[in-house]
Amino acid sequence: MASKPEKWQRPRVVFQPDVHRGMLRGIEQMTDAVRPTLGPLPRIVLYDTTIGATGRIPELLDDGGTIARRIIQIRDRNADVGAMLLRNVLWTVREEVGDGTATAAVVFEATYRGGVRYLAAGGNAMRLRTHLDRGLREILNELDGMTGRVAGKEELTRLATVITREPELGKLLGEIFDIIGEYGRLEIRKGQGRFFDREYVEGMYWDGGLLSRTLITDINRQRTELQNAAVLMTDLEIEDPRDLIPVFTICVKAGITDLAIICRRMSDIAIGMLVMNRDKGKIKLNAIGIKTPGISVTAQRVALMDMVVLNGGRPLLQASGDSLRNVKLSDLGRARRLWADKSNLGIIGGKGDPKALRRHIAHLRDVYVSASDADDRGELQERIGKLMGGSATLYVGGITKTEQDYAKEQATRASDAMRGAMREGVLPGGGAALLGCRSMLQLRMAESVEPEERAAYHILLQAVEAPARTLLENTGHEPGEILGQLADVGPDVGFDVVAGQVTNMAAAGILDITTVVKTAVRAAISSAAMALTTDVVVHRANAPEALNT
Amino acid sequence: MSEPSSDNALPEEFPTDLVYALASTPDLETCFAARVTGLYQSKDGCQTWHTAYDSLGISDPLPTTSVVLAPNYDGETHRNVLSGVPGGVLRSTDGGETWLVTILDSPPPAVSALAMSPNFVEDGVILASTTEDGIFRSANHGSHWARWNFGLLDLNVFCLAISPGFAEDETLFAGVESGIFRSTNGGRAWREVELLVGYEPVISLALSPTYPQDHVIFAGTESQGLLFSEDDGVTWTQLGAAVITDPVNSILLSPDFAESRAVLALSESSLCLSRDAGATWTQVPNAPESMTAVLAPQGIARGATLLVGQMGGAVSLMALDL
Repeated sequence: MASKPEKWQRPRVVFQPDVHRGMLRGIEQMTDAVRPTLGPLPRIVLYDTTIGATGRIPELLDDGGTIARRIIQIRDRNADVGAMLLRNVLWTVREEVGDGTATAAVVFEATYRGGVRYLAAGGNAMRLRTHLDRGLREILNELDGMTGRVAGKEELTRLATVITREPELGKLLGEIFDIIGEYGRLEIRKGQGRFFDREYVEGMYWDGGLLSRTLITDINRQRTELQNAAVLMTDLEIEDPRDLIPVFTICVKAGITDLAIICRRMSDIAIGMLVMNRDKGKIKLNAIGIKTPGISVTAQRVALMDMVVLNGGRPLLQASGDSLRNVKLSDLGRARRLWADKSNLGIIGGKGDPKALRRHIAHLRDVYVSASDADDRGELQERIGKLMGGSATLYVGGITKTEQDYAKEQATRASDAMRGAMREGVLPGGGAALLGCRSMLQLRMAESVEPEERAAYHILLQAVEAPARTLLENTGHEPGEILGQLADVGPDVGFDVVAGQVTNMAAAGILDITTVVKTAVRAAISSAAMALTTDVVVHRANAPEALNT
Repeated sequence: MSEPSSDNALPEEFPTDLVYALASTPDLETCFAARVTGLYQSKDGCQTWHTAYDSLGISDPLPTTSVVLAPNYDGETHRNVLSGVPGGVLRSTDGGETWLVTILDSPPPAVSALAMSPNFVEDGVILASTTEDGIFRSANHGSHWARWNFGLLDLNVFCLAISPGFAEDETLFAGVESGIFRSTNGGRAWREVELLVGYEPVISLALSPTYPQDHVIFAGTESQGLLFSEDDGVTWTQLGAAVITDPVNSILLSPDFAESRAVLALSESSLCLSRDAGATWTQVPNAPESMTAVLAPQGIARGATLLVGQMGGAVSLMALDL
């Protein structure tokens, strides 16, 4: 028999003004937990993991998204609704752009608090929301107008250093992104020593390796290399070695000496034929078998499609009824160099049509821009990166495993942010860009006719000030005085909290990534505006465990 | 007209000898001609020529597709010269008397052009383009080379053009089968330059001597004549369509281009001169036939001497009368 719920767990229907007041309490609690992490001199939030476990050390957190994720429930159920709403907003921002959660939290809180005050005085929530949404669009347009491009090793290094707060890592990330570009392939691995290092690999590589170790010819490097190779690309399974004879015949007639057969599976007897032919065959054909990259049928098709654009030729697909018996010379792609080891396949200098390759990549970029799903975007970015002609590996150092884990996490977050900066540009940092929206908002407020419109711009004025105000408070400065100093300056000018002076933020290398600021502001204001229209809360009988999202 | 002598038989794949590239000191005292049959040198103002590869002791001809002199080459104390051959780059520090061979990665790439940093003496940066393997880069005066093809989606590279302000802007361009690529980090990574559709391949490139300020680029195409951009490759205009009809093998800009606006464009059948940055063109009279390479060591001013390489391997001197 289930135990009787405690009083605070009992089902309840809550009405105004308790809804707004309760939610505001939760929003303030969540924001206060994240607030210390805003700025270049963040303070740490300690997450106590010791309850119920011995020998565990507390978790040190400086990332607003993770802090929010660790808060899974607040005992005050009305407050819990507000806190969990903000938690979801923060985690969404974190997932989408990797940063900006503290900015989102303080903007959300300022918007919601201002809205609650206005509604308590008798304002209309729906009209207010409409004007907040309109004001949000104007803020986003204003931010677009302030956006500048970031390019070149120096600018990228400065930006990476601002993001990571680690000069050595910033320098390497600046160099890496200058070379690989915004879509380039970057692997972040734990290194051997204390320091950071990087390595560049030429060509494209996939995760399909040799079908058998007997196909390895370079024993020392445990790989096989082919030159001026023909490439058969298929998702067929090759059981009967006789199926390979038409391909061999075509190659020999065409004077091809190296052949890579990329297929889903090859029988042992067929592999044996390749080895036998290589070692003792009368015909001069060095043929190897490689597993088609990808696990699912869709992933394999995608990989084959990319390879065909890169190498030329045509994929032989099971679904199209293709077989090896009707293969033609024009079906084979060509590669200047090709290598494979037990787990990877690399291609350098595919002989496909370069114009088709450029068109293909341009198409993938377009699809990337219009894709909304984070997983889809990740896959597209990986495909584009593979086709760009090289990849980089960043080795992160550290004395302890914890230090390495932290550095890897930091580098991963920074690389996501760098890609965003290169794609969408940068804004004057330190909250200056949002402060730069104030004059536009003041103008709109002065032109407002409806009370809700005037109230919305007033609320937004407070919201755009909130990140700079928090940043100043976090670094021990007096916000009122400094915000006053910044009232009459242009959007490029802000307050350098480290140097303690008013400065041109872009010139000082204090930059924020446009996509991060816009995502944070968009998520915060639109969600807060929506939350303001909530009039009734229904609490269930048993508060479910918060979802681990 | 002088014809560098060649006793070597031609390789099978070349029906005739031809001059791929020329290099010279401004006083024409020392000239090099890169030819199908090897690298030839003249030390008497292009009057007599001899093979520069004697010290290599090879019997077969070594097709040489490019040759460059170090910016401080004076024929006496500073005598760095590099040449591109199939599969590698040769470099000499004594004006071609002896050579060091650098083999580029297998399979042997065919070097199509060499481009040297204007600051080569200090930075040691030189780039080699190849027709199948993209671009190789050396940062130690040609001793060691590494392939740098990040973002270069077309590895069939025909020509290179390096910014006069390379020491600061690290910018260079590559003309490829499918258009043009630009690097802004000294050739370590490449990005596409928008080009009019159907105007590729680009087989010659030239940057204004004041490129860092005016962003002027000329691009010679195989089938669509000469293209011009004055906004760093964002927009392009076709030039001289009525006069320049053959593939544009070479483009030369006057060292004082910003004032004189003088441009020379070489195609197989004609050598054309413009003194208004390509708006109008005149065919240079008395130019030799079947030209394959041109060099203007003394600039494109009236009366300056041009070196013209031809099919068959001849190198002519001609005064620019226009």
